[in-house]
Amino acid sequence: VLPATTVLCIDDEAIGLKVRKLVLERAGYHVLTATDGESGIQMFQQEAVDVVLLDFSMPGMNGDEVAVALRAAKPAVPIVLLSAFVSLPERMLTLVDACLTKGEGPESMLHKLRDVLAVYRGGLGHGTSS
Amino acid sequence: MNLREFNRILEQTLLVPVLLLLALAAILVWQIQSTLTAQRLIDHSDQVSTNARDVERLIIDQETGLRGYQLTGDTLMLAPFKTAEPMIPRKFAMLRDLLADNPSQLAHLAQLNDRYQIWVGFAQSVMASPDELKSNVAVNRRGKDMMDAIRAQSQSLVQAESELRRQRAVNVEKRVRRVLSFTFIGAALAGLLLGLFTRSRLHRVSRAYQSSLNELQQRADDLYETRLRYQTTLESIGDAVIACDAQGGVEFMNEVAQRLTGWNLSEAREMPLDQIFHIVNEETREICENPVEKVLRTNTVIGLANHTVLVARNDVEYVIDDSASPIRDQRGKITGVVLIFRDVTDIKRTEAALIASERHTIAGTLAASIAHEIHNPLDSVANLHHLLASEEDPDKREEFLAMAKQELDRTMQISRAMLSLYREPKAPIRIDISALIDDVLLLLDRRLADQSISVTRELEPELVVEGFPAELRQVFTNLIVNAADAAGRNGRIGIRTSRTLPEESRPAGVMIEVSDSGPGISAKVEKNLFQPFFTTKGELGTGLGLWVSMGIVQKHSGTIRIGNSDCDGFSGAAVCVYLPMRALACAKPRVI
Repeated sequence: VLPATTVLCIDDEAIGLKVRKLVLERAGYHVLTATDGESGIQMFQQEAVDVVLLDFSMPGMNGDEVAVALRAAKPAVPIVLLSAFVSLPERMLTLVDACLTKGEGPESMLHKLRDVLAVYRGGLGHGTSS
Repeated sequence: MNLREFNRILEQTLLVPVLLLLALAAILVWQIQSTLTAQRLIDHSDQVSTNARDVERLIIDQETGLRGYQLTGDTLMLAPFKTAEPMIPRKFAMLRDLLADNPSQLAHLAQLNDRYQIWVGFAQSVMASPDELKSNVAVNRRGKDMMDAIRAQSQSLVQAESELRRQRAVNVEKRVRRVLSFTFIGAALAGLLLGLFTRSRLHRVSRAYQSSLNELQQRADDLYETRLRYQTTLESIGDAVIACDAQGGVEFMNEVAQRLTGWNLSEAREMPLDQIFHIVNEETREICENPVEKVLRTNTVIGLANHTVLVARNDVEYVIDDSASPIRDQRGKITGVVLIFRDVTDIKRTEAALIASERHTIAGTLAASIAHEIHNPLDSVANLHHLLASEEDPDKREEFLAMAKQELDRTMQISRAMLSLYREPKAPIRIDISALIDDVLLLLDRRLADQSISVTRELEPELVVEGFPAELRQVFTNLIVNAADAAGRNGRIGIRTSRTLPEESRPAGVMIEVSDSGPGISAKVEKNLFQPFFTTKGELGTGLGLWVSMGIVQKHSGTIRIGNSDCDGFSGAAVCVYLPMRALACAKPRVI
């Protein structure tokens, strides 16, 4: 059995975060949560994270700032932006691997995660086999 | 030339000719007097000559008498001699008197007298001599010689006197000529002088008259020009102008007034104003008071109530904005009323459109954060639904359902807050201002959080005012968004509500103060804050927020003031909104 894939969820919405964690855990993921950008980045650096689910709108540090920091730390780890905002800055879209709008539903979220991870694993697999 | 000057000239023109002619007459009288004196000298000469001839004739009479006596010896013949004898000395005495002033003639007279006395002596000797000796050649010749001498002497006296007379006549003639020529020259000179004098006086009067005429003409021209200028000004201004007399009869209407009322000036002239200026209230359709009557009644400048509609002759309606002022004469008596109004239909429409547009802008400003606020709980609800579908544990299900309900409640609260930005009751309702501000902050929560702005609330509970909640929400949303923009990232906003006690100028009400930690407001910006389209946010602002807010606050009979904050910790601007508890009883229209 493959070791559980670790997802880092960064969101300032406490309930949303809690529910999302339950959904992801039920889908078999290992879930880490952070309620603001700073602690999220810290956690990302300390833990082995396979994918990040990042909220855009957060007090203190916005999603794009967080994304820049994450990329700087571990460029390969895929980042999925999960936002309630419709109009996101252009820079944000180029920084992340995929985008999700809040309210699209859990299936959509899980599907997107799988896709991103497949690409990520494919890249890794290719890298390890050679 | 004033009246005094003119009267002086009148006096001069009366007195100068009289004085001049009097002087002329005096000189003439003097001249004539001296001519008369000269004339009298001639008469004097004539008298002398006559008397001298008389003497001669009397002496000859005596001689004739003596001769007769000589020849006849008849004493009767001596009658003429005797008759003349007493008369001659009298004549001589008379002549002496007459010639008293002329020594040479007196000498002649004395000589004549001497010769006569000699002859008288001879005559007496003759008469005394005997008859035979009375007449002989010697005696006769002697007598004749004596008589000749007397005659010669008399002749020379007469001749001298007539020479004198001739000289005197020449003198008189000369004087007469002089008088004549003097009269002529004097008259001519006096005429000329009078003419010149009168001419100069008349010239002065005429010049003064002409200058008065010119002045009058100039004044008339100026007046005409002024009148024309005012007329042109009134004709060409964009506002409609109607001037009425004190009875309200139309005297003048400019082009715009004629166009808006649909009446030509020629038709409307002297008609009562209310027949051509038919105004009603836009909402109630009640006929408005005739502004002319109102001006006459109040004796002041009046502005018409808002929402006044002018119904033109062809039933087209215009929303108008107008004022009426009394026209006063120099003593302050009202002689007419001038009515100035303009068609603000388009302005009102534009204003309404701008207000609507600003409301949409506020909604747009909120849309992003509202979407965020709704999508977050929606996302949770969707996830919870997903979990519920496969959850068997009743406790867990209970927990999920409770969470879902919590999230749905939140969504509904936001949705209600958003809708209440639009839903407006027809009539004012009681509003808890602090609760309303909490609602507004809920909608703005995300936006403020994004900018890391902290909000300090000091909201007194149960502050109730009457008003339109959606409009007031719009005002406070606007003020808080402005404060957030001014405060900037990591800034602070303070919101304080308090009760205000009634004061002389305003009833009891609520004061809402929004302060920020921004840079504050410069004097230049402060002046323009409430002007439409004035913004300090560049492309990001519409410049309508405060303008609309002001209109809404004024509609609630409140006031809105913006200054720099004097609160502790808030260095920036402070907006103070006062709303009376019972707002709309005394609502005032917007002041554009």
